[in-house]
Amino acid sequence: MRVSIEWLRQYLKIEQTPEELAEILTRGGIEVGGVEDLNKGFKNIIIGEIKSIKPHPNAQKLQVCDVNIGSEELTIVTGADNILVGDKVPVAVPGAKLPGDKVIEPTDLRGVKSQGMLCSDKELGLEFVGLDRSKGGILILLPDAEVGSKLEDYLGLDNSVLELELYPNRPDCMSMVNVAREVGTLLGLKPKFADWLEVNTPLWPTDVKQKIEIENPELSWRYSALLVEDVVIRPSPRWMRNRLRAAGIRPINNIVDITNYCMLETGQPLHAFDRDRLKGTVRVRLAREGEKLVTLDGVERQLDNSMLVIADDSGPIALAGVMGGLDTEVTASTKRILFESAHFAGANIRRTSRKLGMRSESSSRFEKGVDPHGTVTTLARVAELLLELEAGVPMSFTEHCVCLPPQAEIEVSLKRVNALLGVEYSEQEVEQVFEALNFDYESKPNGKYTVHIPSYRQDLKIEEDMIEEIARIIGYDRIPTTLPQGIQTQGRRTPEQEFRRKVRHTLTEAGMNEILTYSFTKKDSDDIWGRRDMNIPILNPLREELGVMRTSLLPGLLETAARNTARRNLDLLLFEIGNVYWPHKLPLTTLPQEKTLIAGLVQGQSQRHWLVPQIKFDFYFLKGILSQLEMACGVEFTYTRLNNSRYQELLHPGRSAEITVGGEYLGFMGEIFPQLDEEWGLNRPVLFELDFDVLYKNSQTALVAKSYPRFPAIQRDLALVVPQDIPSEAIKNRILELGGELLQTVEIFDVYQGQPVAEGYKSVAFSLRYQSPERTLKDEEVISLNSNILATVQKEFGAQWRK
Amino acid sequence: MVQKERMIGLKAELEKIKKETLHKLEQLNTMEELQDLKVKIMGKKGSLTALLKQMGRLSPEERPKMGQMVNEVRAKFEEAWEAKAKELEQLALAARLEEEKIDITLPGYRLLKGNQHPLSKVIEEIEDIFLGMGFTIAEGPEIETDYYNFEALNLPKDHPARDMQDTFFITEDILLRTQTSPVQVRTMEKMKPKLPVKVIAPGKVFRHDDDATHSPMFHQVEGLLVDKGIRMSDLKGILLYFSRQMFGESREIRLRPSFFPFTEPSAEVDVSCMLCGGEGCRLCKNTGWIEILGSGMVHPRVLEMGGYNPQEVTGFAFGMGVERIAMLKYGIEDMRLLFDNDIRFLKQF
Ligand SMILES: [Zn+2]
Repeated sequence: MRVSIEWLRQYLKIEQTPEELAEILTRGGIEVGGVEDLNKGFKNIIIGEIKSIKPHPNAQKLQVCDVNIGSEELTIVTGADNILVGDKVPVAVPGAKLPGDKVIEPTDLRGVKSQGMLCSDKELGLEFVGLDRSKGGILILLPDAEVGSKLEDYLGLDNSVLELELYPNRPDCMSMVNVAREVGTLLGLKPKFADWLEVNTPLWPTDVKQKIEIENPELSWRYSALLVEDVVIRPSPRWMRNRLRAAGIRPINNIVDITNYCMLETGQPLHAFDRDRLKGTVRVRLAREGEKLVTLDGVERQLDNSMLVIADDSGPIALAGVMGGLDTEVTASTKRILFESAHFAGANIRRTSRKLGMRSESSSRFEKGVDPHGTVTTLARVAELLLELEAGVPMSFTEHCVCLPPQAEIEVSLKRVNALLGVEYSEQEVEQVFEALNFDYESKPNGKYTVHIPSYRQDLKIEEDMIEEIARIIGYDRIPTTLPQGIQTQGRRTPEQEFRRKVRHTLTEAGMNEILTYSFTKKDSDDIWGRRDMNIPILNPLREELGVMRTSLLPGLLETAARNTARRNLDLLLFEIGNVYWPHKLPLTTLPQEKTLIAGLVQGQSQRHWLVPQIKFDFYFLKGILSQLEMACGVEFTYTRLNNSRYQELLHPGRSAEITVGGEYLGFMGEIFPQLDEEWGLNRPVLFELDFDVLYKNSQTALVAKSYPRFPAIQRDLALVVPQDIPSEAIKNRILELGGELLQTVEIFDVYQGQPVAEGYKSVAFSLRYQSPERTLKDEEVISLNSNILATVQKEFGAQWRK
Repeated sequence: MVQKERMIGLKAELEKIKKETLHKLEQLNTMEELQDLKVKIMGKKGSLTALLKQMGRLSPEERPKMGQMVNEVRAKFEEAWEAKAKELEQLALAARLEEEKIDITLPGYRLLKGNQHPLSKVIEEIEDIFLGMGFTIAEGPEIETDYYNFEALNLPKDHPARDMQDTFFITEDILLRTQTSPVQVRTMEKMKPKLPVKVIAPGKVFRHDDDATHSPMFHQVEGLLVDKGIRMSDLKGILLYFSRQMFGESREIRLRPSFFPFTEPSAEVDVSCMLCGGEGCRLCKNTGWIEILGSGMVHPRVLEMGGYNPQEVTGFAFGMGVERIAMLKYGIEDMRLLFDNDIRFLKQF
C-alpha cells in the first residue's frame, strides 16, 4: 500500500517528517519498506503552450517551436514529433534541472538557438502522467494545465509516499481511512473524517426494477449497488489524478477514477457496469462449466464451476472481485451506471485469481479480507464524489444482504495481559490503549473488560490478539527481559545427534571438507547414481535440473567436484552428510523414508611440499580416511569385491569394494569407472557412500580403554613373495591366527611389484609384534612361532620367503 | 751428594715438564689431542708418572718435598687441562650450533585438516548456546504434510498468509516444508502432557525462490518453550542471551510487532549492528539494527493442536535463518556462495 503524506494530512495534523513517521509506524507493527519522494529531482520545469511548429532549416529530424511559458515566448528546438500546436508541455528553461543533476543551458542546434528543452515523462522520472500521445515523446499535459506554472505544483510532486509492507493480518491498512486511524493511534491524534464515513444505511430510494440475487451466500454475504444516471465521462480533477498517481494507479476518467479513489479511501473494491448493457437480474453465482467471459483486458477466460462470477440473464458479466467483463465496460458513451459494492469470500477470490493468473487491486483486497459492513458507506462516498465532480446523478439503490457477521467482542483481563507479557500495566494504561484505538469497551470488576471490535479490524478475534494490540501500542520496549521460572532442564544431544556430529568432526579432522548441496537434483543423474525410479518428482520445480528429490548424495558430490575442477580446483577431499528420500510407494500417499547418508569424493593429490612427497588421493587414501572413521566409531569395516551389477558400470571393478560392518551392508567405495570421470569433467575420483543408521547401530559409543602389558615386545619382519591375486588381508589374517595369543598385531609395511620379483607375483612385508601379558618372551619361542607361520603360509599361499 | 744432585736433576726435569706441558696445552685444538697429552703426562707411561717412579731414589727427607712439588705441578696441570677442556668443549658446541643452523623461513609441515561447512558450523554453534540453556534438539521430516506445515500452525487452506511462503509441492497434501515450525506441533504431540517442552529444531527448509538473498533450500533453527507461566519477557531474556553469545557481549536487542499465524503476540527481533555497534553503517542500512529472527507467544490454537490446554500453559517460539546469521557473522554478501561449495571458499571456515 502506497500512502501519500499529502492525502494523510487531510485526516491528521502530522508534524513528523515522512522518515520519522515511517519509523513510528514500523516500530508500531506497520512496516514501512521505503519512503519515496515523488519529485525525482527536477527543478524549474515550467508548463508552456506550443504556439507554432516549423521545420528546422538545417535538419530534417528537428523542429523549431515557439512556446509560451506565460512570462515570455521561447524558441525551442526539439526532435520529437508527437506535438501539435496548442499542446501544453513541460519546458525546461535555462537553469532548469533534470533528474541526475542535468542542468539545461541555451544551445545552438545546427544554426538555431534553442532557449530550453521540451521534456518527456521519462526524462522527468514520471509515470502515469499526460495524454496517450505522450508515449515515446514529449509529455503532453491535460488542457487544465496552467501555462507559466511550475510542473511540480501541477502534478502535486511536493509530496512523499510511504510504502507499507503489510502483513496479511492487517488488510484494513489497504485503506487511507484505516491508515489514518492507525497513524492516529500511534501518534495519539484523533483523525478527522467527513460525514459520509458515518453512513451505514442507504440514503437513496430503492430501485425496484433492478433485481439482485446472491445464489451462493457462503461466498458472498452482501451485494449493494448504486444506480447512477446522466453520466458524463471526462477526466477527473487534478487533485484526484494526483492522489491516484501517488498511490500508483493510472488515472483514466472520472468514473474509473472514482471507483479507484473510493477503494483507496475505504478499502472497499468497487466496480462500475454500464447499466444499459445489463440484461435482467444481476446474480452472484458460481460459473457453470464451459462458460466463458472476455475480461476488461480483452482476454477470453475459460471459467469453471469453482469460480464466483457476476452474471445477468445472458451469462457471466464479471469475475467477482477480480475483474469486470468487456461487454459491460463503461465507455465514453455510457449514460447510466450500476456501481457494485459487495462482499466476496477471500478464499474463493484467491483461488480464482491464482487459477487464471490474474491479480488486481480488487482481488488482492478481497483475498485478505474486506470489511463487509462497508459496502453502503463506500457507496455514500461514491455518490458524494459523483455530485462533486458532476460526473453523474445517484438515483437509487438496491442490494441483497444475506447476513452480516456480528461485531466481535473480546473479553480482556488485565491479569492475563500482565501474565502473558511479563509486565505490570495498570488499568489506566490499558484503558488508554482502548481509547487510542478508538474502541468501545466496558470495564468490569477485577480489571476485566469487554472490548467491542469495530468491523474494519477483522484480525482481532481472541484475547491474545488484544494483548498484542496493548503491547504494541504501549511499545514492545516496555516489556522487560526475564528468564523462565520453571524447573531447570539439562540440554544435551541425543546419542544419535552426538554420533552424527562425531562423524562430521572425524571426517574434517581426517582432511575432508564438508559440502552442502540441494536436496533436489536432476532426474537423469539420480537415476544413474541413486535408486532408479525411486526419486520423488516435485510438482513445481524451480528448474528442471532440480526436479526430483535425491535418492543418493553422489550426484551432488560429482557436480560439486566438476564445478571445482572446472575452476582448476583439482585436488578435492569432499564429503556430505545429508538426507535422501526413499518413497514407500509412488506417487506418494504417505511421507517417504528420510535416510541419512554419508558420502564423499576424493580426487587429485596432496599439495606439493618441500619436506614430504605428495600423496595421491586414491583408493587407499580414501580407505585410510574411512579407517579413521572406523576408529572413531569403534567398529571394523570389511571390504569385499563389489558384487552389485549396477555399481559395476559406475565404479572400476578392480578398484571398488562393498563395505560391511557387523555383517550388515554399510555402503561402498571405489574409483569411478574409466571414461565416466571424463564425462563429468573429473580426473579419476574415488567415491564412497555409507548408510548412517547402519554405522550408528554398529558403533561402539562407550569407549572401554585397553591396558597394555608392561613386558617388552619382540618385533619380527616377514617378507613374502606371493601370487599377485592373493589378497594381502587373507595372508595377514592367517598369520594372526597362526601366531596365537602371543602375536599381538600384524601390519603390512611394504608392498612391492617388479624386478627382482617375478612377473605375476608381489612382495608383501609384514611386521609381527609378539608380546605376553605375563612374562618376558624368550627368543626361542618367537623363532619357533615365526618358522611355523612361515612354513604354513608357504604351503597355503604358495608364498616364498624373501630374506 | 749424589742424592742431592738427583734432587736437583729431578727438580729441573719437573720444571721442564711443567713448562713444556703448559705451553703444549695452550697449542692444542681438539679434545683428542688434549686426551693424548693427559696420557703422555699422567698415564702409566707418562712423563710425570716416570718422574714419580724416580723419587724412590731420593733421600727420605727429600721425598716428601719432591712429592709435594710433583703434586703441585700435577694440580696446576690438571687445572689448566680442565680449563682448556672446557674451552674446547665450548668451541665445539659453538661450531655445532653454527653448523646445525637451518633456514627458519621455510614453511612448516601442516597436517591435512578439512573444514566444516559454514552453515553446519553455525548450526552447531547455535545448538551449543541453546543446549547450555537447557534446550534439547528436536528433528522432523523435510518432506512434510500440508497439515503440519500449515494447518496445525493456524494456516488453513486458502489463507492469504500462505502467500508469504512460496511452496514446493510433491502432491496436493505433501510438500517440502517451508519452515521448521512444523517440528513445534510434532514435538508437542510427542511430549504431551509433559512439561516443559523446551526444544530447538534446526533443519533444512525449502521455498520457491532463487536470487542473491534467497536460496530454494536454506536452513532454519526453530525454538519452542512451553510451560506453565511462560511470559513474553522470558522470550526477550532468552533471545538477548542468545544474541550476546552469538554476536558479542555488548549486543542489545529490540522487538518489533510483527505477524506470524502461529504466534500471538508476534515480534520481529533486531540485534544492534555488530559492525558499527548501533551508530549506523552500510550493513545495517544506517538504522543501527539488524533483523535476525521472528518470534512470538505460541498461538492458543497451536497449543491446542499440539495437545496442550492454552488455559494452563503458555509458550514462546522463535525461528531464525541460519544463512542470514552465517552471512552476518562472516560478512558473506551473496547467499548462493553458501551452496556453490567452491573449495577455496569452504577452506576459510
Ligand atoms: Zn551498522
